[in-house]
Amino acid sequence: MATPSASASEAQIELQGIERVFHLGDSVVHALAGVDLRIEAGEYIAVMGPSGSGKSTLLNMLGLLDRPDAGHYRLEGRDVTTLSPDEQARVRSLRIGFVFQSFHLVPRLTAAENIALPMVLAGLPSRERDERVRKALDGFGLADRAEHRPDQLSGGQRQRVAIARATIMRPAVLLADEPTGNLDRATGEDVIRLLEQLNADGVTLLVVTHDAALGARARRRLLMEDGAIRHDQRRLDGGFHDAHA
Amino acid sequence: MRTPDLLAFAVGAARGNRVRTALLMLAMAIGVAAVVTLTALGDGARRYVVREFSAIGTNLVIVLPGRTETGGINPGSFVSGTPRDLTVDDALALLRAPAVQRVAPLAVGTSELSVGGKLREGMVVGSTAEFIEVRQFKMAQGQFLPREDWNRGSQVMVIGAKLRAELFPNEAALGQFVRVGDRRFRIIGVLAPTGSGLGMNTDELAIVPVSLAQAMFNTNTLFRILVEARNRNAIEPAKQQVAGIIQTRHDGEQDVTVITQDAMLATFDKLLGTLTLGVAGIAAISLAVAGILVMNVMLVSVAQRRSEIGLLKALGASGGTIRMAFLVEAALLSAAGAVFGYALGLAGAAVIRALYPTFPAYPPDWAVLAGLGTALCTGVLFGVLPARNAARLDPVTALARR
Amino acid sequence: MIATDALRYAWRSIGAQRTRSFLTLAGIAVGIAAVILLTSIGEGIHRFVLGEFSQFGTNVVGISAGRMAARGGGPTGLPTSVRPLTLEDAQALQHVPGVIGVVPTAWGNAEAQARGRLRRTIVYGVSADALAVFNMQVAVGQFLPGEGADEARSFVVLGAKLKHELFGNDNALGERLRIGGQSFRVIGVLAPKGQFLGLDLDDTAFVPAARAMELFNREGLSEINLSYAEGASAKAVAAAAEAVLKARHGRADFTVTTQEEMLGTLSNILDILTMAVAALGSISLLVGAVGIVTIMTIAVAERTHEIGLLLALGSPRGTILRLFLGEAVVLAVLGSLLGVAVGFGLARAIRLLLPALPVSTPLPYVLLAVASSAVIGLLAGVLPARRASRLDPVEALRSE
Repeated sequence: MATPSASASEAQIELQGIERVFHLGDSVVHALAGVDLRIEAGEYIAVMGPSGSGKSTLLNMLGLLDRPDAGHYRLEGRDVTTLSPDEQARVRSLRIGFVFQSFHLVPRLTAAENIALPMVLAGLPSRERDERVRKALDGFGLADRAEHRPDQLSGGQRQRVAIARATIMRPAVLLADEPTGNLDRATGEDVIRLLEQLNADGVTLLVVTHDAALGARARRRLLMEDGAIRHDQRRLDGGFHDAHA
Repeated sequence: MRTPDLLAFAVGAARGNRVRTALLMLAMAIGVAAVVTLTALGDGARRYVVREFSAIGTNLVIVLPGRTETGGINPGSFVSGTPRDLTVDDALALLRAPAVQRVAPLAVGTSELSVGGKLREGMVVGSTAEFIEVRQFKMAQGQFLPREDWNRGSQVMVIGAKLRAELFPNEAALGQFVRVGDRRFRIIGVLAPTGSGLGMNTDELAIVPVSLAQAMFNTNTLFRILVEARNRNAIEPAKQQVAGIIQTRHDGEQDVTVITQDAMLATFDKLLGTLTLGVAGIAAISLAVAGILVMNVMLVSVAQRRSEIGLLKALGASGGTIRMAFLVEAALLSAAGAVFGYALGLAGAAVIRALYPTFPAYPPDWAVLAGLGTALCTGVLFGVLPARNAARLDPVTALARR
Repeated sequence: MIATDALRYAWRSIGAQRTRSFLTLAGIAVGIAAVILLTSIGEGIHRFVLGEFSQFGTNVVGISAGRMAARGGGPTGLPTSVRPLTLEDAQALQHVPGVIGVVPTAWGNAEAQARGRLRRTIVYGVSADALAVFNMQVAVGQFLPGEGADEARSFVVLGAKLKHELFGNDNALGERLRIGGQSFRVIGVLAPKGQFLGLDLDDTAFVPAARAMELFNREGLSEINLSYAEGASAKAVAAAAEAVLKARHGRADFTVTTQEEMLGTLSNILDILTMAVAALGSISLLVGAVGIVTIMTIAVAERTHEIGLLLALGSPRGTILRLFLGEAVVLAVLGSLLGVAVGFGLARAIRLLLPALPVSTPLPYVLLAVASSAVIGLLAGVLPARRASRLDPVEALRSE
């Protein structure tokens, strides 16, 4: 369904004709083949598909960790496709938050220091940092774990630290790659609920998952296969329906 | 574990981390190369000096006027007068000594030489025909001083190469006349250039008969007397005999100093040898630093290869085998680095020889062995702790942590 | 990233791997300690030698016959048929502005005989001014009187050791001394002065220069030494002396050397020696630097993951570069501080154990050592840090 290009509300994220090609030895892999995507601010999207379908590549692309070989990417009205690595870093720092499957906390830093890391990298002074970290620790129920190092935290606590870190700079978009993959079901539930709370506060949430139950919780579902989005479904009273025929 | 397998294990480990291995070898190489090159330099200096000294003449005994109670050589005894002169007749008397082959008296001073309108101050040496044989000079042109009565001298002069170039740039020197004070000397010979060397550089000397030199400087005493002993074994006896003859002639007073060239040579040899040793020692400190690096890297290596070690143990390797394996690795890295450093050091010495061809810059064997040996020992020594750590790993925990 | 945060981050990284970091900085420490120790010894020797020279007084200008000294060839004091320096020359120099003492010198080696005892000794023919010019002190009696050169009476002043050897503890004043067949009367004994680079200054006899010239049958003086007033310019005095002598001789057939020039050459040689020795010690530093490169390379490889994370969190590449560079510099500087402490400590220990060996640690070298270690850290860390900053974030995150 064609939508007029000059719409009333400009999309937060716009992908047009995104291509990403990898050369592995002799073979050529089309990780992303002609992807078009529009995401409004505040959406809750699950990205699903078999392994090798390009989900993670899409996430990396959206998170400006990777650059497309062809096509355009507009983020909040700005063409970010051709930004220099440092400019991309800046955008990542301010607008995007990552949550990984294996948490990726720095082992020698305490929970508080891990949460503060994005602010340290951005050059914020310590007084402002300490205040925000304190608030985040309280908000995520980690106040008594502030000085503990990752190897002294449970899986759930680690992921909460990771989410706190991902949101400390108040990003516009939260990208989560299998966030509950390394957690047991109960803890995973807690974590997802946490993410959804953040989404309710207005942060766009993209979750890559292969867990159908997780995928069902989202309001929009992208099914990927062989580097392309096969189905783009929205939840309407009880079930998912394709957004366009 | 069999030795070839041990080696293969070590080589495999080294290959697995090319950059790390290369850097480690570089560290060792720098240390060994430094030792090799520096000792080549030092030993080259030693040999150069010894060679120059030997070139002054062999089996030499030197008589100097003056003595202090403390004996030995000090600044005071070299250029001083004594109330009792050391005369040409004294020198002649020395020919009587059975151990003495030749004697050349020396009277030295500075004077002004004038040729045509040119004036040049130079060192004038008064001696006899024997001088050229005792000092083994070479003539470039003409002949040396004639054999004649030492107490009389014909007014002839032999000049060094540089003097010749300065006084007679455009013409032949032989047969020309040089005025010194109120005497004229005819040039009968020019010495071959000697270049820089120890002892007296002959290029700027003007040599005349000794009696005339003494008259020129209005002094009756000699600067020194050079005595050539018959052969090496005769040096000591010659020394005794010479001292004895002079003492008798000087009313029983021992107012001269007699030294052998050998003694001077030995002093220099020892001095330079010690210097070389010191320099090598300082350079060898870097080998200790390289050893520290070996330990550091091997500790990291052990930590990173925990699972591999755990696996080996699970497969039945004993602690001793593991320890051996890592020690061999340390030894191999050090040895390879040392050999590489040796090659570098040889190259360095070759460069020195190319730049200064007269300098025999060869690393002495003791230094090479010491350097290589130290490198190897340091490497193995510093590999002991990591090897022990590896041997002590508990296989279960090592395998559990991924 | 704010500098203090970067420093703290680097500090935490270093602290997380204590053994490894310590061994790395130990490499630099050994190198720096070696350099500090060696330069301390060099500086100590330098000061010692200069000190020995200065015991002769510092405002001295030396004049010798002939220009061979100027050309640097040959031992001084050789007989020469070049126009010699005479007592009259010395007298004329007394009128040079700024000159407060003139010492004509003729020296040689002779046998001194007194009370049946014999001793071979160095005989200095000087003038009354020698006491001041050479910084000597009379212990008993007086020094040579300041009379005209030609009328100089046959007096002798003994050095402390010579007096002791010939007269024991008895009073030597008034006694007669035979030197080389001539008779001298003892009018004074000097206070002990000690050694000068191995030469025993107390084993000497001082007589008037004219008498010494007779004794050794010399036409000219060995040299003339002038001392000038404090505040006068050495160059000016030397130039004036040169002018006076030139007028007398007709031309410049002599050499005038200020003490500065003499000391200057010596100082230069000693400095070069110290630097050469320091350069030797620096070889260890070089190896230490290789150590830093090695460990940083390993660190980057191990922390690829962490680097990927930092990039994902929005760190500019420059920050990554600076973080790792900072670590290298901190390691190097810490190592150098440790090395300075160890080197200084060893120098002190040597000073206590071997008082004969002069040791003195020069502050400029210490500062230079620490500064150069920072540079070493910078250079050593460059390649690994650059590699770190160039990692692809996706790849880096994937690695383990």
